[in-house]
Amino acid sequence: MKKNTIVMLGGFIIAGAIVFLLMAATPGSSGVELTMKELLATQDQHKDDFVTVEGLLIEDSIKWNPDKIELKFDVKNNEGQIMHVIHNGPKPDNFSEGVITILQGSPTKKDTFEAESVKTRCPSKYEGKDIKDYDPETHKDKLNQPPKEK
Amino acid sequence: MFLFANATIYIGLAIAIYSLLIITLGISTKNQKFINSGKGGLIALFVCAALAMLSLFYLLATSQFQYEYVHDYTSSELPIIYKLTALWAGNAGSLLLWTFFLTLYMVMIVFSRKMKGNPMVPYISAILLANAVFFFFILGFVAKPFLLLDTVPIEGKGLNPMLQNPGMIIHPVTLYLGYVGLAIPFAFAMAALILKNVDDFWIKATRRWTIIAWLFLSLGNIFGGQWAYVELGWGGYWAWDPVENASFMPWLTATAFLHSVMIQERKNMLKIWNISLIIVSYALTLFGTFLVRSGVLTSVHAFANSNLGLYFLIFMAVAVILALYVLMSRYNMLKRSAGEFQSFVSKESSFLVNNLLLVGAAFAVFWGTIFPLVSEAVRGTKVTVGLPFFNKVEAPILLSMMFVMAVCPMLAWQRSTVKNLKKNFTIPAILAVLGMILMVKLGIQKAWAVIGYGVIILLLITHYLEFYRGVKARRKMTKETPFVALYRLMIRNRRRYGGYIVHLGIAFITMGIIGSQNYDLETMKTVDLGQSIEIKDYRLNYERLDQKREGINDIVYADITVFKNGKKLGSFQPEKVFYGNWEQPSSEVAIISSLKEDLYIVLSAWEDDGRATFVVKVNPMMNWLWFGSFMIVIGALFAVWNGKYGNVTPRYTGVRREVS
Repeated sequence: MKKNTIVMLGGFIIAGAIVFLLMAATPGSSGVELTMKELLATQDQHKDDFVTVEGLLIEDSIKWNPDKIELKFDVKNNEGQIMHVIHNGPKPDNFSEGVITILQGSPTKKDTFEAESVKTRCPSKYEGKDIKDYDPETHKDKLNQPPKEK
Repeated sequence: MFLFANATIYIGLAIAIYSLLIITLGISTKNQKFINSGKGGLIALFVCAALAMLSLFYLLATSQFQYEYVHDYTSSELPIIYKLTALWAGNAGSLLLWTFFLTLYMVMIVFSRKMKGNPMVPYISAILLANAVFFFFILGFVAKPFLLLDTVPIEGKGLNPMLQNPGMIIHPVTLYLGYVGLAIPFAFAMAALILKNVDDFWIKATRRWTIIAWLFLSLGNIFGGQWAYVELGWGGYWAWDPVENASFMPWLTATAFLHSVMIQERKNMLKIWNISLIIVSYALTLFGTFLVRSGVLTSVHAFANSNLGLYFLIFMAVAVILALYVLMSRYNMLKRSAGEFQSFVSKESSFLVNNLLLVGAAFAVFWGTIFPLVSEAVRGTKVTVGLPFFNKVEAPILLSMMFVMAVCPMLAWQRSTVKNLKKNFTIPAILAVLGMILMVKLGIQKAWAVIGYGVIILLLITHYLEFYRGVKARRKMTKETPFVALYRLMIRNRRRYGGYIVHLGIAFITMGIIGSQNYDLETMKTVDLGQSIEIKDYRLNYERLDQKREGINDIVYADITVFKNGKKLGSFQPEKVFYGNWEQPSSEVAIISSLKEDLYIVLSAWEDDGRATFVVKVNPMMNWLWFGSFMIVIGALFAVWNGKYGNVTPRYTGVRREVS
């Protein structure tokens, strides 16, 4: 066998190992990204999954318990559905009405989402626009994606 | 001013198109006059871009809020430095900056002394001009920097306070310089292929460009991480966010490229691989821009969604298809002239392994980044892969890369014999294993950390031996003192020793990453005034909560006295800043930094009765990261520095044409 072929073979082994690594790591550390509507409809199925979901914050619902370091709040989507969220951690910096929250965690109880991480996304964080001017309609398409074909 | 500023853009577009056409015409009719006209166009283009930049700087500095861009990103009370650097706070300005660098690089190359009379010049110009046409088109029709508002507002919206940080002044500039820089070797490679030159002239001619682009790309990533660490208050520096991945992927492939071109220079091998690598690196810079600007992925970075990303995707697709076409049509020529591997264990094969690992790492990042899109297209649900995925996949790949890096200097070119291997590796390997045993004894027991640090010990020893042997050999002949010998050795072989310094820098960064990822501590606690929080051997006394006013901003801060092992370290003030012209407050963390670890204090929340909630973290070895970054800069600069030695201008031996 030519040396080049041997080296090529070695190369393929490394490439194969990397692909294997990818395959092995994907299921264990992946989660699903759902819209709120989908999540509320299929909550039971996703009990043990790591779910990413986005919702608009309802400011009046924020309850902050400093001693237990427990943050409770509700998020809604554009169809008025409401989901309760529990998060063991402090409030993100811009936690105000209508801000888009990106929640990661799992829906443990009925209509309640236990979030391991709460991130907020100012609709245009780096684009210099006022949140006050933010119109929830702008991201309607993002929050309300119709479920794709099953 | 409005007319003038816009004129620079549209005239620029016209000139770019004209130059591109006239140079193409000149190439096909072999008419030097046309080519020269196109070259003149390059200068005019550079002047246009420079004037556009100056206009925007002027408008920003004088706060002319009738311009949309000025209004959106600045306000009158902003310090002048941030008014100016707001130029790259938004899309239009960033692209203008990019265009400016592109035209600057073009002029530098086409009119450089080394390229005089070189028939590649028209081709290189044409390829880069195609890029310029694209950017001027975007500036002229998609992201216009000089838009007027209907009314003249009295005050601007201000610059996002998170961007008001020295790191953010430099970070975008360095990244763009890196991105643009990769277009240069790409253009050279394409020009060489079109001219059917299969030698390594294009590699030698662009070596400096590539290293500089690589350096800027590294700096861009490092400054980004550093900014995130001090400014965002989550205590980390890298989150595998799509936006970060977008700039990490070209860095990985460019690193691979830097190494594999050495094999081509020495052994005439891997030609197709090298060209593919530079095409991929170049494409990834455009793909990254597409990812960042199009909003197809859920990212906290969230630049405004616009169709800008789509244009980049289309441009990238066209560029890649054309490049692949050129590569394929020259495939046989390249193949015929390629060298062969002599042995399994040699420097060449270790370079190849390093390349595969780097490209593999890039592919893994790519996979994880686009996985949500792929899965949505295939299965209908967006499956996300997060931090754990990347850590799981990248850690072994990058660790094996460190291993290759550790053994590579000790391997011989062509072939390493068993005897040679034994002689070179016995001592370093024993020392590394001893080091690992010592670590376990001392209480470092996490497998990753022990293996990682073991590999790094090996790396440090082999690199030390490289320097040591070089100096010894030199002193035998010249009888110089060790330091003089070391200095002369290094400046006579800049690329090699500069590369080693970069390796050492990477080793320090890796040590920092391993330490801070495996041994970080975090606690979150609500305490009354006068109470304290304990973490590791630190005690934090919460003394006072107060408010102060700075300019138009209100600042709430806590006074914290920090003790370590009972010894007072001083008073520190984590703050939360409420901005006069910005909706969201931001946390200013207090960081107490030492060689061993950082103590990272965030003031998260407070109640009316004075209780406050703090997040306190201990991040080990953060300073090693920054120190390693510093060494990378030193090493890269050392490698490209214009020294007295080994500075031969590569001689062009390729195809001759009538025009140049």
